[in-house]
Amino acid sequence: MTTLDDLMKLPGAMAAFEFRGGGELLEHRIAYPDRINQSILDLLAHMCAANLSIATMQARGWEKMTGMEGFYPIQEFTLIGFDWSVVVSGLLREQHKQAGKFSLPPLMGVVMANEKADYEAAFAILERKEPVQ
Amino acid sequence: MSIVTDLLAKPGVVAAGEYAYRGDRFSYRGALSEEHARKASIMCRATTMSVNMEASMLEALEPLSGLPPPRGWLVHGPDYSVCVIANVFCLIDNSKGSINDLVGFMRQALAHVPSDMI
Repeated sequence: MTTLDDLMKLPGAMAAFEFRGGGELLEHRIAYPDRINQSILDLLAHMCAANLSIATMQARGWEKMTGMEGFYPIQEFTLIGFDWSVVVSGLLREQHKQAGKFSLPPLMGVVMANEKADYEAAFAILERKEPVQ
Repeated sequence: MSIVTDLLAKPGVVAAGEYAYRGDRFSYRGALSEEHARKASIMCRATTMSVNMEASMLEALEPLSGLPPPRGWLVHGPDYSVCVIANVFCLIDNSKGSINDLVGFMRQALAHVPSDMI
């Protein structure tokens, strides 16, 4: 069972996806193709990669400016839309970087219907530690 | 009571505030200096404008996608999170508060706010 499959079991899960740091969509699962299609996921992955990078820069800058720690590294970025939310994380990638690995795993995300969205459950799956090979 | 006062009464909320979309005003309450709150409001406004631009681009490519108009965004750090819905932001201590409760409260309390960012 992969992390994508686990993400698809979350309440209201509509899609789960993997993407590169540059935003390219990789493996994905779609529960409702009439509402979320591959084309939407493709742009969403690019948006999320950009937002995760900007949030990381802001967290870094904020910690330096204020002396307040605990914002960096960003665990997840969540965009709350009108009907659904998307939660993305690069934490697994960060763990590989800290272990000195050059080959990094993809970033991951899940799209959930707002009415049923359990953000904390999504965070828990995306923050799950996996052995660094 | 204002939403900022309501938010500060929620478990784990360290500070909360509002900013004008045109960027000329902000207000806040909580454990931040005036200067840090000003910087926080600038960063929150910039990200809000950015996600709105992205959502309108998605809408142009895929109409009725269900994303626009975006209601807000959330950054989850190891100890603290920043949650923004409409033009209201708050900082939350992850160990003391619930993100699900906070987002649910803010979405409901700010559901009536127009999405035209004026």
